[in-house]
Amino acid sequence: MKKPLLLSLGLLLLFWHITVRAQTYTYIPEKPDVTFLQQLSATCKERYTAEIQALPAKNKKDYLELYEERWTGIKERFDGKEIYTGSAAREYLNRVRAEIVRGNPSLKQLTFDCYFSRTAIPNASYIGHGMILFNMGLFSRLRTESEAAFVLCHEIAHCLLRHTENGINNYVVTLNSAEVQAELRKIKGSEYHKKEQLQKLVKGLTFDSRRHSRDHEGQADSMAVELMKHTRFALGGALSALALLDVIDTDSLHTADCLRRFFNAPDYPFQQKWIAKDGGLLGGHARIKDEEMADSLKTHPDCQARIKALEPAVLRAAQPGAGAFIIDSSRFRSLQESFRFEAIEYAYESNKYTRCLFLTLESLDKRPADPYLVTQVGKVLNGLYLAQKAHTLSKVTALPSPDYRANYNLLLQFVQNLYLENIAAINYYYLRQHHPAMSSYAPFHEAYQQSENFFHL
Amino acid sequence: MSTIKASFLPALLATLVCVQPMRGDAQSKLSIDKVYSAYLRNSGTISAKGAIKGYFFLYQSDKIDRHTNEYTLQILDENLNKVRSIKFEDSKKLSLLESAYNGNTLSFLFKNEDNKTLDMKIYDLEGKLKYTYSRAFDKKTDDLMKQYMTLHSDEGMNKNVFDLGEQGFVSVLPMRDGKQRTYEVDYYSSETKKQWTYVPNDDEEKYAFAEYLGSTDSLIILEVMKKNKVMSTKASAHLIAINFVTKKKAWDIDNSTEDVTLLPSSVVSLETGKIMVMGPYFEKDQNIMKDFSRGLAVYEITTAGKITSKVYNTWAGDFAKYLPTNSKGKIDNIGFLYIHKLMKTPDNKLFIVGEGYKRQVSAGGIALMALSGSSAFGATKIVITDMVIMEFNSKYKVVGATIYDKTNNTALANAASDFNSQHVIAAYLKMIGAFDYEFTTGEPDNSSFAVCYSDYERSSEYKGQTFNSIRYNGKKFTTDKIPLKSKASSLKVFPAKAGSVMILEYFKKDKRLDFRLEKLG
Repeated sequence: MKKPLLLSLGLLLLFWHITVRAQTYTYIPEKPDVTFLQQLSATCKERYTAEIQALPAKNKKDYLELYEERWTGIKERFDGKEIYTGSAAREYLNRVRAEIVRGNPSLKQLTFDCYFSRTAIPNASYIGHGMILFNMGLFSRLRTESEAAFVLCHEIAHCLLRHTENGINNYVVTLNSAEVQAELRKIKGSEYHKKEQLQKLVKGLTFDSRRHSRDHEGQADSMAVELMKHTRFALGGALSALALLDVIDTDSLHTADCLRRFFNAPDYPFQQKWIAKDGGLLGGHARIKDEEMADSLKTHPDCQARIKALEPAVLRAAQPGAGAFIIDSSRFRSLQESFRFEAIEYAYESNKYTRCLFLTLESLDKRPADPYLVTQVGKVLNGLYLAQKAHTLSKVTALPSPDYRANYNLLLQFVQNLYLENIAAINYYYLRQHHPAMSSYAPFHEAYQQSENFFHL
Repeated sequence: MSTIKASFLPALLATLVCVQPMRGDAQSKLSIDKVYSAYLRNSGTISAKGAIKGYFFLYQSDKIDRHTNEYTLQILDENLNKVRSIKFEDSKKLSLLESAYNGNTLSFLFKNEDNKTLDMKIYDLEGKLKYTYSRAFDKKTDDLMKQYMTLHSDEGMNKNVFDLGEQGFVSVLPMRDGKQRTYEVDYYSSETKKQWTYVPNDDEEKYAFAEYLGSTDSLIILEVMKKNKVMSTKASAHLIAINFVTKKKAWDIDNSTEDVTLLPSSVVSLETGKIMVMGPYFEKDQNIMKDFSRGLAVYEITTAGKITSKVYNTWAGDFAKYLPTNSKGKIDNIGFLYIHKLMKTPDNKLFIVGEGYKRQVSAGGIALMALSGSSAFGATKIVITDMVIMEFNSKYKVVGATIYDKTNNTALANAASDFNSQHVIAAYLKMIGAFDYEFTTGEPDNSSFAVCYSDYERSSEYKGQTFNSIRYNGKKFTTDKIPLKSKASSLKVFPAKAGSVMILEYFKKDKRLDFRLEKLG
């Protein structure tokens, strides 16, 4: 009789061991490959140099100014290690790229590279000189590979159709045109209503520029569908990707509930005043009605309009054998999973502490005992403590603003409402709950010790 | 023909074409490039109930004709976000004096030199002009104008315009009527087009100086000092309440029937509905302009003007337990105390912020007098000393006082320091901004507050100006310091929303102004 009992106990122990081990698996962020980034930056710079050498002689100075501005923006992304160098992710994205090129052989003549950007902003962009960035914040929210393929095809289309370069050209040509120059001379020479005239001129130029931008988006969408049609990625992904983009900014975190849950220790209970806010015009949480942009001033058409424009072509197309996943669905999922952590790590490295804390709490909501996430809270709160002490809090936090979503704004208000002693106590008691269980995880141990020091100061 | 440079147009156009994102995005940060002071007319804080709620920038955005400019009034919220831009046309001789906020409207007091008017404009939160109230600006308001140009107030705090909750705003202006000096209280409704003026008509004295102390839901409370001759050293102190519903004086506590003379300097509305008044007090036979006060008094008064309780704390008795004070109120090494601020906390403690000043022998002044034979130089000088925070219990008795050392600085070193009384000197020091006290910031209920002052440090680690704070967190006081030397050409600290300060850095080479908010530690 004892043997079966012992066996059961043994199995139980084994099961517990495996389960616990699985739960205590801690994410290790990818260390940026600095050498690779430097090489990539150098390659990009070569392309930039080649492009500016090919600029027309007429109005060259104006072109150079704009290209230099663009290059400065690109270089900042390299210097800030925004581009993700993880080999598994690069390999995956290259496979998606390869499938698109396979189906569209003319793309072999086009110089372009695709990389993941470590930012959590749900977007993707063609930044120039053949560089396409697919933000982790967008990739981690997609449902299928075909949605990812549509996003990539859209950006490839911008590169292929040289929308940025054409836009720059358009701007320079327009600005230096006889009509605009004559108008500027007239404005410069007038004594009264100068600003009014200038605003009228700028408004006209802005409307044109934004209209071109919306046209470009429409062209990129259409071209993307065309490129996708020749791949094995199901075209339905185009429409579902746009539908997702339409609602992607919706708040996913109920900040007040989350803060109350995590920062409510028996020895240091949550205080309602930590999330008190002024809802008036001047409190930072006002809804500014006149900030809603007129359609004519938007750079992108509404997603619903974009879906409507693409539906006929998508529904018409026959794609036998196409599917939502054709490269590697498990790699797709595992990248999505790891990107949530990478985006948190990047936000912390970039000193965007409030963004980091928001992303961390979003993930903690689903995994409250994840050592990496728990430690990240500790690191951020320690960082906020040090910054407030050094009067540099504004350099690592955002302030509540009518531009932000309500739940993000509430987190920003929370940070603003806390004094040094609050930050120290909240952090100490929060981390203490996980001590000593997580103390074997070195980063946790370090964060906890630091929080203890601050608490006892 | 030369081409007009692309930079003539906003760079906005250019940045639109440089990146092709999947979807539109926007972020903002406050940094003002290409600061040309010629266009920035006025800037200042928007206050409500003595707290900073936002900021305004008035700049000339266009010229309409020879006499008229277009102005843009840029309103920032307490987090430096641009929330409203109000455009209007007006005389090119326009300046914005003060602004206040009452939760649902914004008021702006303008001076129009062309029309010679003071215009109070009230806007709703959408930026729509609700009402304009104008009054003539003439010799009678000369004193007001001089005040704006020369007088100092606690940094960022309003001098003359205050909010009265949701109902509207009040201004208390000094007036001159021939040789008589008096004051005027103007009420501006933000709910309906209604404005009235109160001018005292029962003052026997020729000179009356009023200072706004606070308000309740129906009363405006003023401290009024009256005297018969401008150079007279005999004055009477009054606490006057004006009912802004009946538009009449509700009561006047003139100390004539009291045992002592109270010089009211601060008021607080209590939860009981009563008003608490604090200030130095004098014996009846004393001259409030020349003699030393006996101590600090705290009265509780009903809204009908009845004094229901009086508590006295004497320098020689009560304060001496916590500070080395003599019978005249002089504290060893610190001198006399000028009371800057009073705070009542939710747990019924009272804190009073004071700053020391004393008269010292001026060796340099004596030498100059001897050499030159001129009486313009003084034999004494006035030195600003340390900060003092005094704590009172719920019964208004002093229970503690702490001195916060800072570097002494000479505020006055001429003949004026030899011949004037301590009160006159204190008032003068406040007027010229000689005290180091800057402002107090904190939660509206004073559960946490920070007393801020400037100092000059001379240590081995740092030599230069500092911005300092003494913060109360509901239980204890802690101190904090911001060195004012930075990579910027200049750095200045201003009051901001509760618990924070605004740091303004000017980079001369880049012609850039950076603003940021920082919490006080």
